[in-house]
Amino acid sequence: MKKLSSGLLSLVVLFSLSVAATSVYAQEVGASTVEFPYTGNRTAVWIVAQLHILFAAFILGAPIFVVISEWLGYRKQDPRYDRLAKEVTKVTVILFSMTAVTGGLFIFVLLAAYPQFTTSFINQFYVVFAILYPALFITETILMYAYLYTWDVWKGEKKGRHIVLGVLLNLVCLLILFVINGPTSFMNTPPKAEGVSPQDFIAAATLWDKIANQSWFPLSLHRIDGNVAFGGFITGLIAAYMYMGSKTQEERAYYDWMGFAAIWIAVGGSLLQPFTGLLLAYEMCDYDFSFCPYMMADQLSMFFETQGIMIGLLFLGINYYSWLSVKRIEGADNVRMTILAPIVLIVLLPATMWVMDKFWIPDPMSLAFLLPLVLSPFLFGRFIPKTVSARTVIKIGFIIMLISDAVWLTPAGFVATGTDMPDEMKLPEGWDYLSSMPAKLSAILTLVYVTVVNYVLYNRTIKQGTILWGKIDFAAQFVLIFLAFTSTWIMGLMGAVRSLLKKYFHVYSLVSDLSAESFTPTLSYSVWWITAITVVFIGIVSVAALVALRPSVARVREPEGSPVPIAAK
Amino acid sequence: MGNIFKKLGIGLVVGGALVVVGHSQELPVSFQVLFFIVALIGAIVFMLLDAKPIGTMSGGKSVFAVTAFWILLITVCIAGASLLPQFDPEDEKAKIGKLLDKERKQSAQGKAEELIARAKALDAQVKALEERLKGIGGGQAATATATPPAGDKPSAAAGGGSASGDVMKVGEEQWQLQECYNCHKLRGEGGKKRGPELDNIGSLLTVEEIQQKIEDPKSFMAEGYEKEWQKGIMPNKFKDLMDPKEMQALAAWLGTFKNASVNTPKPIKKN
Repeated sequence: MKKLSSGLLSLVVLFSLSVAATSVYAQEVGASTVEFPYTGNRTAVWIVAQLHILFAAFILGAPIFVVISEWLGYRKQDPRYDRLAKEVTKVTVILFSMTAVTGGLFIFVLLAAYPQFTTSFINQFYVVFAILYPALFITETILMYAYLYTWDVWKGEKKGRHIVLGVLLNLVCLLILFVINGPTSFMNTPPKAEGVSPQDFIAAATLWDKIANQSWFPLSLHRIDGNVAFGGFITGLIAAYMYMGSKTQEERAYYDWMGFAAIWIAVGGSLLQPFTGLLLAYEMCDYDFSFCPYMMADQLSMFFETQGIMIGLLFLGINYYSWLSVKRIEGADNVRMTILAPIVLIVLLPATMWVMDKFWIPDPMSLAFLLPLVLSPFLFGRFIPKTVSARTVIKIGFIIMLISDAVWLTPAGFVATGTDMPDEMKLPEGWDYLSSMPAKLSAILTLVYVTVVNYVLYNRTIKQGTILWGKIDFAAQFVLIFLAFTSTWIMGLMGAVRSLLKKYFHVYSLVSDLSAESFTPTLSYSVWWITAITVVFIGIVSVAALVALRPSVARVREPEGSPVPIAAK
Repeated sequence: MGNIFKKLGIGLVVGGALVVVGHSQELPVSFQVLFFIVALIGAIVFMLLDAKPIGTMSGGKSVFAVTAFWILLITVCIAGASLLPQFDPEDEKAKIGKLLDKERKQSAQGKAEELIARAKALDAQVKALEERLKGIGGGQAATATATPPAGDKPSAAAGGGSASGDVMKVGEEQWQLQECYNCHKLRGEGGKKRGPELDNIGSLLTVEEIQQKIEDPKSFMAEGYEKEWQKGIMPNKFKDLMDPKEMQALAAWLGTFKNASVNTPKPIKKN
């Protein structure tokens, strides 16, 4: 009996201990009691964060080219620019609410999945999260709505006032981008100093120290041109859908023009992207060199291989669109260009690879060689009588792009991680230069250069021929969809890379991610989610475009100011 | 159709030529495949350049075409990326598990988990006890030998084995965990010329000096690594990622490498 009672006593003690343990666990701020089904906590945060960033990128990027477009319309007295600006603003306003919704959701999911980290992170940046960001967001909301609703009021002589309002909106958008990039970049490169432990340094650091960390400015630059390009590509997508839905030739002509204008603005941003991206990568590697092999050679090397494929396809798509645009210009066959252009196109890649090998950036000697080379067709072309047709130049450009893509895509070895690379998988001696950074840089420089030459050619063709708006090959609409999809997808991929660079930390080398999910996911797993996020985002944008723009299309078709009452028609 | 066959033919010829050249240069097959695929993409690009214009679509036809195009894009993206070699997260999970082990145990969450584990172990014992009580009416319950809770066991990792053997093991483990091999070649493995080969480091530096270099990477600079971009690329973080014993063990382990046939560059004292 004594043994029985002692057994029962143990039972009670153990039960109490068990309950106590559970309640301790439940009260711990560090322990997430939430486990998102199917996705897990990390992927749940990833999905919401990426969606939020895509919407935010659009609403921060679109106003930049909206105001440029409005200004161009005012200066050229071309109403199409004004219509483009207004239509994109309408879509932006709808997506603005999606940005706010996903932003709120992001915080909730983050708090549920990583309560301790989120709380401490918000505490680190409470001035940003509690004062600056909300204040700027509210200001942006007011300006955005004011910008839209004063469109028809501030026209004619008052147009300048409206453009100034647009500029003001952009300044606030830029401020938001810089402010929010502070905490974001802090997670990758928290400030540090020699001889002081990271924890001690952060404890003594001011808010400005934390915001102005090493990757803050390059990340912001990369995101500015990225957002402009992204806004352009998404506008191109909207133009494609609207073109497809157009019932009249007039509408088709307008949306054909809209797609063209949007893509060239996007190209402007895209041409800068590789260089600001490189600057960001350079600063990251300078902060901690172990980022470099992790990105380029080890766990994330095939992520970069995929990025190379997609960027190669993006440039091919941009130039194919340009080709289709040239084809619908009457008189394009007569346009010719100096023979120096194809010559420089052909020699540029090997010449750049040689120069980069000898004089690595930032050695000014590299510029001393390359600048005269790339500028020669434009500076000396007029003195050389031999010319070739525009079509030949563009076709040579495509061959050069394909070769550059091949160089861009050549890794040191097709293995998941360079750490365990067997010799038989490596590029042999003598060929290994193809996988080096100078070769990659040469390839991207050549891709950019071909695109610039095509742009110059296109402009020359416009001046010498007549554009048949609305007569573009229908395939161009699929190119616009492809470009929007690809650019969104690349943003998702590179967003994942930037976040994964933190490795098993929430804040690199400062706050560890103690959850079981702090590992590098496979590329295959990642692209499933990246693709799903892209599809959801573009689906929402498409619906927003249809909701915002279809009524205006209907109204345009209806003769305005008809004195006949509807009932009498 | 003539356009398609002509371009496809050229693409196959160019691709084939690239494969032959690649093969003759002993390029791995994967690279030959890459160049062949690029040649085929080139063929597709030139097919598109010279293709006849597609007529304007509208209504259901355009919706169907766009949907089909979307499905194609999605399929190509997912399949394409999935065909590339995939990094196995299990490799990393084990490493991260070891790196975060101490922190996990020290964290409130870790403590709670340990408490729960102990509670569960005790709970299992109680259940076993109950079963016995039910079976024998309590008479033989006393014979049940309670296993000490998992948390009470002495740490297996802490003890056992000779001290120096353990130090070497910890040192080698730190080499793997901190991924030093990403930059330094050792025993013919790892390294990408980012940092010096270390097979003879034990002949050039004392264990204390090696430890100093890990702790403060700028204290020594390897000969031949004086270029501006090479200076200071060794991260100054290891003193925060390893405890002093682990760093000492890594230094001691590296100190055993005295292979004079390998040209480990001479370290120059900087500060």
